[in-house]
Amino acid sequence: MENPTPQHPHETDPDTPERSTIIEIEGFNFYYGQTHALKDINLTVEDNSVTALIGPSGCGKTTLLRCLNRMNDLTEDARIDSGKILINGYNIYDKDVDVIELRKKVGMVFQKSNPFPKSIYDNIAYGLRIQGIRSRSKLNEAVENCLRAAALWDEVKDRLNDNAMMLSGGQQQRLCIARALAVEPEILLMDEPCSALDPVATSKVEELIHSLKEDYTIVIVTHNMQQAARVSDHTAFFYLGRLVEYNVTEAIFMNPKDPQTEAYVSGRFG
Amino acid sequence: MSKAPQQDRLKLRRSKSRQWLGFDTQRLLKLFFGGNAVIAVIVLLLITFFLFREGLSFFPQYQKNMEQYRRSGMEFTSLVNEEHERFNQLFRSLVDIRKLQIEQLTAQGLSHEEIAQASAALRERIYAFSELAVPLRNYQRDVRNITRDTYALAQADLEDEATMAQHYDNTIAALRATFSTYEEINRQLVGSIEAQLALMPDFEGTGLQARAKDFRQDAEQFIVSLPTYQARLTAWQPVKEVSLWEAIASFLFGREWIINNDGHSSYGLLPLLTGSLLVTGIAITLAIPLGVGAAIYTNQMALRGEANFIKPFIEFITAIPSVVIGFFGITVFGSAIRWLSQQSALDWLPFFPITERLNAFTAGCLLALMAVPTIFTLSEEALNRVPKIYKETSLALGANRFQTTMRIIVPTALSGIISAVLLGIGRVIGETMVVLLCAGNRIQIPQLSEGVGVVFEPVHTMTGIIAQEMGEVAQGSMHYRALFCVGIVLFVLTLLINYIAQKLFQHERVGD
Repeated sequence: MENPTPQHPHETDPDTPERSTIIEIEGFNFYYGQTHALKDINLTVEDNSVTALIGPSGCGKTTLLRCLNRMNDLTEDARIDSGKILINGYNIYDKDVDVIELRKKVGMVFQKSNPFPKSIYDNIAYGLRIQGIRSRSKLNEAVENCLRAAALWDEVKDRLNDNAMMLSGGQQQRLCIARALAVEPEILLMDEPCSALDPVATSKVEELIHSLKEDYTIVIVTHNMQQAARVSDHTAFFYLGRLVEYNVTEAIFMNPKDPQTEAYVSGRFG
Repeated sequence: MSKAPQQDRLKLRRSKSRQWLGFDTQRLLKLFFGGNAVIAVIVLLLITFFLFREGLSFFPQYQKNMEQYRRSGMEFTSLVNEEHERFNQLFRSLVDIRKLQIEQLTAQGLSHEEIAQASAALRERIYAFSELAVPLRNYQRDVRNITRDTYALAQADLEDEATMAQHYDNTIAALRATFSTYEEINRQLVGSIEAQLALMPDFEGTGLQARAKDFRQDAEQFIVSLPTYQARLTAWQPVKEVSLWEAIASFLFGREWIINNDGHSSYGLLPLLTGSLLVTGIAITLAIPLGVGAAIYTNQMALRGEANFIKPFIEFITAIPSVVIGFFGITVFGSAIRWLSQQSALDWLPFFPITERLNAFTAGCLLALMAVPTIFTLSEEALNRVPKIYKETSLALGANRFQTTMRIIVPTALSGIISAVLLGIGRVIGETMVVLLCAGNRIQIPQLSEGVGVVFEPVHTMTGIIAQEMGEVAQGSMHYRALFCVGIVLFVLTLLINYIAQKLFQHERVGD
């Protein structure tokens, strides 16, 4: 399924033509019981970019995000009707896909900051320890690198053995990002990572997303229009389980083609 | 618009509700519920107060009794008795050696005459030994006769203090007159035992030789310890007062619980306490893996159908009355264990075969069965309280389900699981019927020197002794109060365990 030619439905940036596609969603239909949660979704995500999924509550954006690392497997009654999701060319819903490997490659940060009730160090080291890595020096190195990458190192380096619950909300969320980075994913899924944070903590996480773009592909769900405009390269607008419009972020906000998109981004509903 | 209809629409004045005896319905309901709470609290306070009043008054009574025991010279008698007992033990081990020798000779196919001839030397020694005991035994009987009447008189509590003191003095004087006899007996005993040891025949076969060697060591130790008996005798102070602490200590750390309706009873808690702890220990060792393991499986790994089957089934165990479980223990389980222990395939186990059908292990297994539902239900609840997001996060990091369970879910729920286990212990330690029926009811401190085999010893427990003896005691007697005192110990122990469990539970809630 290797596909060297990138398929961007609304390619408008001619400066980076060599960018490759990492996620391809084709004709994806998804049900919760009788509810048709995602209707015929087609979407491609570029390598090393930030893609924002926006839309009113219940539009299916979080569902799509959770489909990308198969977290929906845990939800009862969830099923895929048709279509496929390709990551690096592999259909992740194929029978022979190792879900554990997939989740290592596609990390996830949740809406509510949720460090484990362990020390800061153990939180980060957890992802490595479950892979059987015991070497203290390797763990030390990984913990430092991840905390640096999450811009948290300077704040916590003297208290790595403190319980992670003692950190502030913003620090906890950055810790969760660092924890997700420790297993060296390719893609990072973020489910409204700033919804519980104050503006200062939010801006720190946004800066972090900017810097992470160098090494990771990020898909972020957000309710905050300004945030989508600030951090993302591409934006997808969902409404009632459909992908209404997908384009470069500036185009979505400045020049939306669909009247629904325009109504939503200008704040007339949602 | 006029003013009148507007006032009608906004009725703010309180309407009159129905009244009984001057109280309206709300007040009455409040009184009813509040009254129930007050009654429950008062009854509990009364029970606690009664328990402590009856139990704690044991100590002054016991103190007085110990003082009578000492001043009437009975204490001295028991010192002599101790020495005599030890000599008897020595004698019995000698008899055992001969028994073994005869068994071995019979196994070799020798005739009666031949056996008699071969063991004649040893038989001589046994006769001689039994002769040696005679003066000591006589002396013991004499001093007991001197003291017994005085003790009975003191217990009857009929004489006034001055007369009683006179009695005491007379008895002690009579006792002191015998001291030189005692010294003489001991001196002779040393010499004659040494003489007998020198005459001991040699044995063939390693088993006999080892026994004989043990015997020789024991006998030498006995000789060495004779001066300590003598020293205790000299140090013995018949007029020294017994302090209350001494009475408390001899209750808490006393190694004997002997009820003697005519003579002196000793109320030592240790055999009962150790028995209770041994049974509880066995029960908990078995119940923790079963209860916690089942909880982890049901909560984390089982399919929904399985969980719906397992949960009610385990909780169903609580519906079995404990007397039925005890009955099952006597008729089925105890016999099954003994039968199993007698199978030759299991001979390699050091403590098999067991002789007693009813022992601490039998009771412990059945108590484990009773503790499992408590531990299971509360552990499962604790696991359930772990936020689901932890599980999702762990899985999203590439952990498999087993890793998630063991490294995230169980550690997070640990304090809840520990408190579940503690409540299980609380339930086991207070359980009466099963231990009364199945523990064997032998009042004796378990012999830890037997290693793991200790679990197959019959024991008696604190709950068991109360249930067994409370029906037979005279109200207000020392025995009656001693049982209440055991009840206090039990109460304090259970309270402590429940308190710790509750602390851990709260601690976990804060963690959420």
